[in-house]
Amino acid sequence: MSELLHVSNVTAGYGDGPAILDGAELTVEPGKVHCIIGPNGAGKSTLLKAICGMLKVRKGDVLYRGESLKGLRPDQVLRKGICFVPQERALFPKMTVRENMRMGGFSLPDTSNLEKRIDEIEERFPILKERRDQHAGTMSGGQQQTLAMARTMILKPDIVMLDEPSLGLAPKIVQEMFDIMRMMAAEGITILLVEQNALMGLKNSDWGVVLDLGKTLFSGPAKDVLQDPRIQDLYLGGSKAA
Amino acid sequence: MADILQTLILGLALGGVFALMGSGLSLVFGVMRIVNLAHPVMIIAGAYVAYWGFKLYGIDPLVMLPVAIVILAVIGILLYKLVFEREARSAKYSEMTVLLTFAVAMIVEGALGGLFTNTQRVTSPAYATDAIFIGDVFIPTGQLYAGILSLVIIAGLALFLKYSRFGYAIRATTQNREAAELLGVNVSMVALVSFAIGIGLAGAAGSLVSFVFSFFPAKHWEWIAVLMSLVVLGGMGSLLGTVVASFLLSVIAAFVGTYIGATWSTMTFFLALFLILLVRPQGLFGEKPELA
Amino acid sequence: MMSIAFQDTSNVLQARAEHNAKLALRADRKRVTWFPVVVLGLLLALPALQFVGNYNYVLHLILFTACYATMASGWNILGGFTGYISLGHNVFFCIGGYFAGMILARYGVSTLVTAPLAGLICAAVGYLIGRITLKTRGPSFIISSLALVMIARILFDNWHFVGGANGVALPANDLSVVWAKLPYYYAFVVLAAAAVFVSYKIKHSKFGLGLRAISKDEIKAESAGIDTRTYKTLAFAISAAFVGMAGAIWGEYLTYIRPNIFLVILVSVNMVLMCILGGKGTVAGPVIGAILIVAFNEIFVATLGSSELNILASGLIMALALMFFPLGVIGTLAAKHRLPRILNWD
Ligand SMILES: Nc1ncnc2c1ncn2[C@@H]1O[C@H](COP(=O)(O)OP(=O)(O)O)[C@@H](O)[C@H]1O
Ligand SMILES: [Mg+2]
Repeated sequence: MSELLHVSNVTAGYGDGPAILDGAELTVEPGKVHCIIGPNGAGKSTLLKAICGMLKVRKGDVLYRGESLKGLRPDQVLRKGICFVPQERALFPKMTVRENMRMGGFSLPDTSNLEKRIDEIEERFPILKERRDQHAGTMSGGQQQTLAMARTMILKPDIVMLDEPSLGLAPKIVQEMFDIMRMMAAEGITILLVEQNALMGLKNSDWGVVLDLGKTLFSGPAKDVLQDPRIQDLYLGGSKAA
Repeated sequence: MADILQTLILGLALGGVFALMGSGLSLVFGVMRIVNLAHPVMIIAGAYVAYWGFKLYGIDPLVMLPVAIVILAVIGILLYKLVFEREARSAKYSEMTVLLTFAVAMIVEGALGGLFTNTQRVTSPAYATDAIFIGDVFIPTGQLYAGILSLVIIAGLALFLKYSRFGYAIRATTQNREAAELLGVNVSMVALVSFAIGIGLAGAAGSLVSFVFSFFPAKHWEWIAVLMSLVVLGGMGSLLGTVVASFLLSVIAAFVGTYIGATWSTMTFFLALFLILLVRPQGLFGEKPELA
Repeated sequence: MMSIAFQDTSNVLQARAEHNAKLALRADRKRVTWFPVVVLGLLLALPALQFVGNYNYVLHLILFTACYATMASGWNILGGFTGYISLGHNVFFCIGGYFAGMILARYGVSTLVTAPLAGLICAAVGYLIGRITLKTRGPSFIISSLALVMIARILFDNWHFVGGANGVALPANDLSVVWAKLPYYYAFVVLAAAAVFVSYKIKHSKFGLGLRAISKDEIKAESAGIDTRTYKTLAFAISAAFVGMAGAIWGEYLTYIRPNIFLVILVSVNMVLMCILGGKGTVAGPVIGAILIVAFNEIFVATLGSSELNILASGLIMALALMFFPLGVIGTLAAKHRLPRILNWD
């Protein structure tokens, strides 16, 4: 089993605060969509922040292609090919859509191809082309999320981490976001998805991980996770009702 | 009628200078969320740079302007490194930094007072006392030059923010620090440079102020509330807002000064500040109450 | 969802248990009430020194310290307990001073008599101002408090009835030089004791608990059912009252009232600085801070003399204290569990 990213027994928290993650485990395989589920406050976002360098990994290790990411800054992790789209506010609301796209290429050492690259991506997301001179903050939630996801493609990353792309969106739009995500996966981008909407998240993923109280409780093929009666009872019941 | 026009013109001429005085404050708040109460005293420091250049060597304050920018920007860098870099990590950040900038304001005021005494100073290049007459209405050339130059500098800043790579980084950090960091922006570098630019702008404003107003170290207390009213009304962090608010309040203050009394002219800014904080703390161009 | 709910409660229970354990530890450290009482007794007996010589300078220093201890303790009720940092509290120092001073100038009634009334007036004004400015929070509140000073300064400078910028001279009392300071000495010592006592009482009341909740997280405090608006406005009023009473007596002690003795930034700064240095939000902190700052000023002004250097030094102390000593003397000692019992007034 080849692995791209391996999180082993990680402890992390905010500032001098208590450990929010305590014994988180995660294995990410190339080209697949991984979905992390768990109740609100479980530490899902915290895990992504620890991977991308926003939070210090206190114990354990994060290995990417066998190399430790521990101690790297977010921009260094980004340059290794891991993009993180944070929950909710991933955009610059008072910049235009086009400017937001340009910011997506900020870390490129050579920006001579940037405009062309953005044009290519805009071709694939007509809505972004249509709205290119509009302030990002004035677009609908779905459009904003589309922009945030499309923007990552500028860097041609290996891994894209998405924190609750479905948050606050209507079910139909949510499916659109997952379709974009699957499309990205089809192009060989490995996806690490965090979802509170566990049912929909797992249905659109290959691999499922259950995180609660800062620990990885379960990990397996998404359909197994979906069918496991214990998990259904504890973590899927709520989202089915909602 | 001529009276009204005259008042309007005097108000507009000062509006430009106020806009420059407030722009650095606004920039620093936008990027770092620091309400820099030491900004006005930095303007005074800039005015002293121009003053000594003029007094000792007869150099025009407009020529001293770039010198003042550089000197103040360097002071800004030192200040950031010594004080604000480490504070960025503390909880209760915004309140702590307001008090810290207040302390810095006292330190600089005390230092300036110790060095240059508290006598009123002003630079007096020829144009400072000259005026252009259009019919019955006169435009003091000093204020005119200062106003126009202020707007030129602000326009330059706006273009820099809009089109340069670093400008993108500054705007991105202002709007969403976390996302900027995640896209590879070195946000602490952005903070440092923005702070240096902000204080540099105070230096620029200072050299213009040196022939528009008389100044002494303790004068900055009066300006704190004046400048705060501009940037709060404009929406903290919004450059355009600061400019609009500056012209608006400056014109109102001019009318109050002409028709009610000079004493009450500054009162306009203080009362305005009070009212804005209470009625619309996010200001004209802010979307949410940033300060609250 | 069952197990999650269970998990949540267990966290809460554990946190509660830890909290209780801490409380028990704290209760263990018994309060030493005899110490403040003895200090107060000594202070009240001290003027007897005047029988054997002229100790006016000593009396002046203590009186001055007590005046600032009163003001800093008052400031602390709003700034320390409630977390609203005001840089404009000298406005109440001014209002108190002018109210009582004008009565003295016009009708010859000593401020020692009218001080409580001045306190009430300041409480009322503070309540009204607080009603308005306490809608803002954090930096906004700080800025609004600064604007308040500016507005007051212009008003008093231009108010002819109270002498404008020149102010009004007040009659001195007709006691001999040896005893002239005594009434003010006792007044300030009593005021300071009252301010400390009231701070203590507030801190240990439901009201004080509410204030602390506001200081920690106002939104949470509100959702916990605390009437935050009333609480903080009351804190503002009480805090203004103490500063105002100090102002009332201070004017008569100086024998004149003038905007530039009350409405200078250094007065505000001193209050803030004393609280930070001594320990913001503690009962003993403002007193310790007042002693430190007055002593420091005395040494500093005596050796260097100029007011510019005084401002510079105050700024420097404030910056250093904020950066390296944010908990103050009392706070730091308490955090290290090294606070001597005699100073644990909380
Ligand atoms: N910036 C922060 N500072 C301190 N604690 C935080 C912060 N963000 C989240 N937490 C805490 O970390 C825990 C996990 O949060 P998070 O990872 O966001 O959960 P999830 O994304 O699974 O809903 C929560 O208890 C939350 O209170
Ligand atoms: Mg989350």
